[in-house]
Amino acid sequence: MSNSRPTPPTATAPPLGGHPSPEDLVLFAMQLFPVEQAETIERHSAHCSACREELGRIHGDLAAVALSADPVAPSDAARERLLAQVAREKKAVTAAASKSALQAAPKPTPEPAPRPLADFGRGKGSTLIPEPVVIASSRRPPIYEWVGWAFAAAFAIAAVVLYGRHRTLEESIATQASEIQRLNARAADSHQLMDALTDPQAVRATLTPKTPPRGPIGGVTYNPQKGALVFLASNLDPVQVYKTYELWVIPADGSAPIPAGTFHPDEHGSASVIMPNLPKGVDAKMFAVTIEDAGGSDKPTKPIIMAGS
Amino acid sequence: MNSEGKTASVPQLAAGDDASLLAELQSGNQPPMATLYDRYSRLVYSVALRVLREPTAAEDVLQEVFMQLWRNPDSFTAARGALGAWLAVVARNRSIDVLRRRRTATSVDDLPLVAPGNLADEAERNTLMQRARASIQQLPRDQRKMLEMAFFDGLTHSEIAEMTGDPLGTVKTRIRTALLSLRKAFQP
Repeated sequence: MSNSRPTPPTATAPPLGGHPSPEDLVLFAMQLFPVEQAETIERHSAHCSACREELGRIHGDLAAVALSADPVAPSDAARERLLAQVAREKKAVTAAASKSALQAAPKPTPEPAPRPLADFGRGKGSTLIPEPVVIASSRRPPIYEWVGWAFAAAFAIAAVVLYGRHRTLEESIATQASEIQRLNARAADSHQLMDALTDPQAVRATLTPKTPPRGPIGGVTYNPQKGALVFLASNLDPVQVYKTYELWVIPADGSAPIPAGTFHPDEHGSASVIMPNLPKGVDAKMFAVTIEDAGGSDKPTKPIIMAGS
Repeated sequence: MNSEGKTASVPQLAAGDDASLLAELQSGNQPPMATLYDRYSRLVYSVALRVLREPTAAEDVLQEVFMQLWRNPDSFTAARGALGAWLAVVARNRSIDVLRRRRTATSVDDLPLVAPGNLADEAERNTLMQRARASIQQLPRDQRKMLEMAFFDGLTHSEIAEMTGDPLGTVKTRIRTALLSLRKAFQP
């Protein structure tokens, strides 16, 4: 890589020996290069303003791609979880700050004691006048002054080191608290999942293909009272990258089908939908699976891939 | 899109608002965090969900991205571009890290970004999201497919070439051409 070329990279720039090619900058910005290749471009762009500017533009383009994701709101629980974590870390930081402030604060200087001898025969307030003794004491040999400063410096260094360690510990505690909360949330999800699976009121349905016997197959466990659903499927064909499978709950009262989550099969053709957000108290007449555009749809699109009750 | 004029008329107030909220975050104030979360959580979560396709994992990424903002608000500076755009790209990169079960590769301190617009303003944010979806849909099918495979699925150009049967150079060119078309669509 050379920095000698003054012009920004263009589509006609040679891929090697100068700037990275524009195509490679795109892949680098998407973090799709192996580490070694990425490091080469990183080193080059650190010193090449043209490439950095182009990377800025590419990141802007990538932000535009990110904006194309279908908008989905996170759950209210996610908001509460974040703000609770923020509050906890705030307290930790505040506590650390006040403690360090206490450590750093100068100790109160004791009031000079009255000097009866000096006060004798003088008016009120004259005790503030420095006495010759005090002046004499400030003319200590230089070695004592340096000892004092050395002690002060040592204490200051020790305070900084301790404060640094304290901050590190606080950050470590905060990170661990965050992890514990995340694990608790997952444990709660798992508990809810087990409840849904083992509840005697849960409805179980097997979804089979309408025509060939060896095709995709799926099973649903659904608890209408709790709005809890677990769907497992296998033998699914892969879908195009901008398409997705979508599960539907068909209400028994004849109202519109309710989307119950989108999914993509893994490399073995297996997929699952675990505890999607569903309204409670909806009795299901049947369940169905369709293929929709990426991000899912509000209404099922024919053909129905699987259905069952 | 029918809202081109709207975009140009949005004042700088909302972007400045992001900057002042970030400044408050640097002072350790908690309320601005809720404001920023309410403003950008849907965007961050949508990106994470699009990549990971699993709500629990997407919420984990959401939490991680915003905690990063809370712990190191100075990792973002206004000079890098719009906060919303930055969060969206960081959310995508974090999600790809999770998808590939790899250690965090994103250097959040070093992410120059020319923002596609003012995402702090809700109306403009919605407009830009609509425009992004429309622009992506208008791309030639092969370009769109490869761009989405690279961006949302985190597939390398080699993996895409293997899956599609196209030469490596073609894959690279289509991805870049798609991005350039998108850039053009966002230019005033």
